[in-house]
Amino acid sequence: MTKKAIGLSEYNELSQDQQFEMVHHDGVYVGKRKVGKQIVVLFQLYGFYVEVYYKHYRKHVDHTITSDSTDILQPYIDQIQVGSIGNNPEK
Amino acid sequence: MTKSLPPKHLVLYADDDTDDHALIREAFDEFSSLIELITFVDGVELLRYIESLAPLQPQPCLIILDVNMPLLDGKQTLRRLREMEEFKAIPVVLFTTSTLPSEIAFAKAYDAGFVTKPLHARQIHLLVDQFVEHCSDDIKENIKRQRGK
Repeated sequence: MTKKAIGLSEYNELSQDQQFEMVHHDGVYVGKRKVGKQIVVLFQLYGFYVEVYYKHYRKHVDHTITSDSTDILQPYIDQIQVGSIGNNPEK
Repeated sequence: MTKSLPPKHLVLYADDDTDDHALIREAFDEFSSLIELITFVDGVELLRYIESLAPLQPQPCLIILDVNMPLLDGKQTLRRLREMEEFKAIPVVLFTTSTLPSEIAFAKAYDAGFVTKPLHARQIHLLVDQFVEHCSDDIKENIKRQRGK
């Protein structure tokens, strides 16, 4: 497992296992929210974001959404501490 | 003749995320005959509990602390625990979603373990092992025996 920072397009080409490993190892927790009954967790990974939609929280991932736009932060804005993004917003 | 059961090993877990309480409870379920898991929503509650333990009551064998909690976070709680003479040697694990080198260094400086919260099922199976690794040898042995049953 490489520790080198990668870009969004390179990340999207990785296998799902490699993506999960990378988020688990290098992702920085941004926030958590509920969409209906589904729990969704947003991570910052290097210069982009990975939103994980769970079928069963921390067990079965339904799908993930990636984006390099800060628009993805909008639903989490109340959970973000000033200065935390890219710094230290661990959960 | 009545035979009394040995007291269970006490594991304390503080996290403000109740979804994670359920996850950890489930992870330790297999060992419920050996381990009693008590959960708290922040470090203040956890410290209040251990300060209330009578001298002859069993001490916790492991304390798991989420890093980001209201009132008293995991790092502050760890620092307080290490200042308390009677609890300074209890194994503690910081349990967090982000693997930041500064957090790992903090845990190391306060003689605590560091475990990243799982992202999916396969990582959950490793959780108890990652926690128990920080416990004393007799607890590890009991867990191993229980698994072999």
